[in-house]
Amino acid sequence: MSTTDADRFDKTVTTTCGYCGVGCRLEAHARQGRIVSISPADDGPANEGHTCLKGRFAHQFTRSRDRLTSPLIRENGDLRVASWDEALQKIVSELTRIKDTYGPDAIAGLASSRATNEDCYAMQRLIRAAIGTNNIDNCSRVCHSPTSFAMRRSFGLSGATGSFSDIDDADVAVLIGVNPTQGHPVVGARIKQAALRGCKLVTIDPRRIELADYGALHLAPRPGSNAAVVLGLSHVIRRDGLIDATFIAERTEGYAALEELLDVYTPQAVQEISGVPAAQLEQAAHLYGEAGTGCLLWGLGVTEHKYGSEVVQLLCNLAMMTGKVGKRGSALLPLRGQNNVQGSSDMGALPDTYTAYRRVDDEETAQLFEQAWGVSLSRRVGYKIPEMFDAAVAGDLKAMYVFGEDIAQTDPDTAHVQHALESLEFMVCQEIFENETTQYADVVLPASAFLEKCGTFVNAERRFQLVEASIDPPGGARTDFEIITTVSRMLGHEMGWTTPWDALDEVARLTPHYAGVSYERLGRTGLQWPVRADGSDSPTLYDQYFDRAGGKGAFAALPYKAPGDAPDREFPLVLVTGRVLQHYNSGTMTRRTGNADLVDRDWLEIHPDDADRLWICEGDTVSIRSRVGATELDARITDRIERGHVFTTFHFPETRTNLLIGQSADVNTSCPEYKVVAVDVRPIAEQPAFTPQLTGV
Amino acid sequence: MSITVTVDGSELEIAEGTTVLEAANLADAWVPTLCFDERQAPFGACRVCLVAIESTPKPLPACTTPCRDGMVIDTHDATARRVATAVVELVLSELPTAPEPHTELGRIADRLEVTGSRWPGATHELGQDFRHPYLAFQHELCISCGRCVRACDEVQGAFALTATGRGFQSNVAAGLDAGFEDSSCVSCGACADTCPTDAITEITLLDGVAAQRPPRPRERGRRKRRPLASE
Repeated sequence: MSTTDADRFDKTVTTTCGYCGVGCRLEAHARQGRIVSISPADDGPANEGHTCLKGRFAHQFTRSRDRLTSPLIRENGDLRVASWDEALQKIVSELTRIKDTYGPDAIAGLASSRATNEDCYAMQRLIRAAIGTNNIDNCSRVCHSPTSFAMRRSFGLSGATGSFSDIDDADVAVLIGVNPTQGHPVVGARIKQAALRGCKLVTIDPRRIELADYGALHLAPRPGSNAAVVLGLSHVIRRDGLIDATFIAERTEGYAALEELLDVYTPQAVQEISGVPAAQLEQAAHLYGEAGTGCLLWGLGVTEHKYGSEVVQLLCNLAMMTGKVGKRGSALLPLRGQNNVQGSSDMGALPDTYTAYRRVDDEETAQLFEQAWGVSLSRRVGYKIPEMFDAAVAGDLKAMYVFGEDIAQTDPDTAHVQHALESLEFMVCQEIFENETTQYADVVLPASAFLEKCGTFVNAERRFQLVEASIDPPGGARTDFEIITTVSRMLGHEMGWTTPWDALDEVARLTPHYAGVSYERLGRTGLQWPVRADGSDSPTLYDQYFDRAGGKGAFAALPYKAPGDAPDREFPLVLVTGRVLQHYNSGTMTRRTGNADLVDRDWLEIHPDDADRLWICEGDTVSIRSRVGATELDARITDRIERGHVFTTFHFPETRTNLLIGQSADVNTSCPEYKVVAVDVRPIAEQPAFTPQLTGV
Repeated sequence: MSITVTVDGSELEIAEGTTVLEAANLADAWVPTLCFDERQAPFGACRVCLVAIESTPKPLPACTTPCRDGMVIDTHDATARRVATAVVELVLSELPTAPEPHTELGRIADRLEVTGSRWPGATHELGQDFRHPYLAFQHELCISCGRCVRACDEVQGAFALTATGRGFQSNVAAGLDAGFEDSSCVSCGACADTCPTDAITEITLLDGVAAQRPPRPRERGRRKRRPLASE
């Protein structure tokens, strides 16, 4: 029950949370233009009257004194306050100059997975129609692009096959490379309650995550050996006759090739590769194979690997072998990281696709958008985010328009990113705070947070949900939608929209999968795509057929391959990175709230045996060095992590965790291998203090 | 399978397993509740949701009683309402201040027209804990309904809150009463969300309320008693 009362709040707006991909529906209560309190909406389908400390409490950042409230322009090396006219003129003249001198492909844009669908759709239209290039990407590149790629290959559509509520009806849930009680707290709470009611959990993670304590079985494979574990599970399921032969025969293709491959992945062989005891592997396979219904959940522990996309395909295999897809209680649920990482990709903020993953080199699609926008469009696939940095260093990319992403902190190999940003002739940042990236910007535009704008988000269960403003952007800040459409207009391409709902209508008109989406229809509980023209939506996908040519699901016979990095004599430990409950990614928002009182730094988690060996005590500052960089962290000793592994979060810019990460990336999607980095850890006294390099500060 | 029940004279077709409280809600009949939250399993502790059911000797709690076919429910029953009103009056007798009107207890007291308590005596001592950045304890307002403890267990699964003490001393504590931060609390706020009295609430809301409205002295004396509709 919310304690809404006219005395305490003068405005209450129902909106969708801007933290994480769960998509909690929230009631934002404001008084005199400030958020006073946020409570969960009882009818929110994903949260059902619950939310976490980020959604409920972490709203003070909206009124932080650090908020950008007027445009800034770089002059003689420093940013100075400028008027909107001056800033926008500068952007238009510089982008026009660069386009005229080097061609449109010398310009790239990044859409924001924290922003609305309408903002992202406008951003990709700006880059495609007003600039004339497909150099547009979003940060799903560095998190779930492997999931999107793999699920399109195996099943046809890029999204979860069911809904979070499927967990309530599952007999077993397998969690691999995901820590929901920290990263997706409301789904984490749902899983924990399911486990307490009798749903058997199998957790697969190098760390003993909290849910492992509530589960039937915990497997701790070496980082980078997920493929072997999943192949091993498939081997046992096939060997012991736990397959759904009818499902395989009627609904799928390519099983024979997989069968042949599976022969070698005996539990014993998998134990050699992954370190998971053969007996545990057999037990896990039986738990999943024998259950009537079962959900598979995964996160960045699966995708952020050199062969991340292949492991997702192997997980799809596992579901198809046992017929655990396309029915109630049996869903594949990739837990998407940011609030709208599903939507920003759905909207076509990707270098190779328009809305709903239709390719830019498909003539029919390109013509559809050419007709709608009245311009000719490039058929050439654009740069992915890592390729943008390479192109900038090589001198092919001259300008970037970065909207709502702190690439200098969050992307791997920080030194390379810094070099790339320094190489650009012109960069625009559209942000709510100054951050590591704005230090390289020539123009900074003050934008708005999720509580200050209208539009829609798509959550991790493919649900379009309404976002409505409860407060105004501070000072001279403007909504992203207004900024992007204005820049486009000044560049000579009028988008013809007055509100975000006009953009949503255009998306629905041009995209059969979202045909029935409209402001009125979304209402309080949203709709899960595909949404047909009559407004009916799709809580469960693939109940009759898969969305591929021929209607069958595709098995993928992909062998285990070694990860891009491995420990050796010089770098004997493996670093894994992840999130903590209290903070959200680069921390720009949560660090400016009371959450920073609860957790005020990143820690390096290390096993007691390793700590003993290295003479490290709880709380000691240690140096941590990888093949590409080094930084310092305070040590926390815990046996939740396996021997030989260390773990850290990446929420505080002073830590610069990403200095340590190299260039290894997923073979299909270029998603960086954040999760396997060989490192050397020493007490700080043993090695001269290394201060992270802060060039350009 | 659906069954038919009668709520305050109107017939209603409902699914088997529906509780009397759910049936009353479906029929738009108001039944006061104090320890009930639809996100939690029914608890049946407060005895405020009593209703009369034909052919049962005494009023029954609506939240824990399942409907059976042909049941005749009277939510206006005078005995049930008198007991519920007395329960609320007893609850108020232990509080040092009248409940804030925005709280659930405040709203129920208002609707049942309970303005004070006939029973003078000890009231809870001030026990405030504002150490957590977001969550505030005001132990003096705790009525031991158990909703926060159940929210912590059944909604979040953090198991950070516990009922403590007995009788007049009963209250709620985080962990070993060392405050939220030294317990297994994950700061989700589900306890503050369900608390019907602001015994656990958001600190930011307290500041706002304090600035607007100074704490009122407790009104003692007889409650107004007007005849109920069914009398």
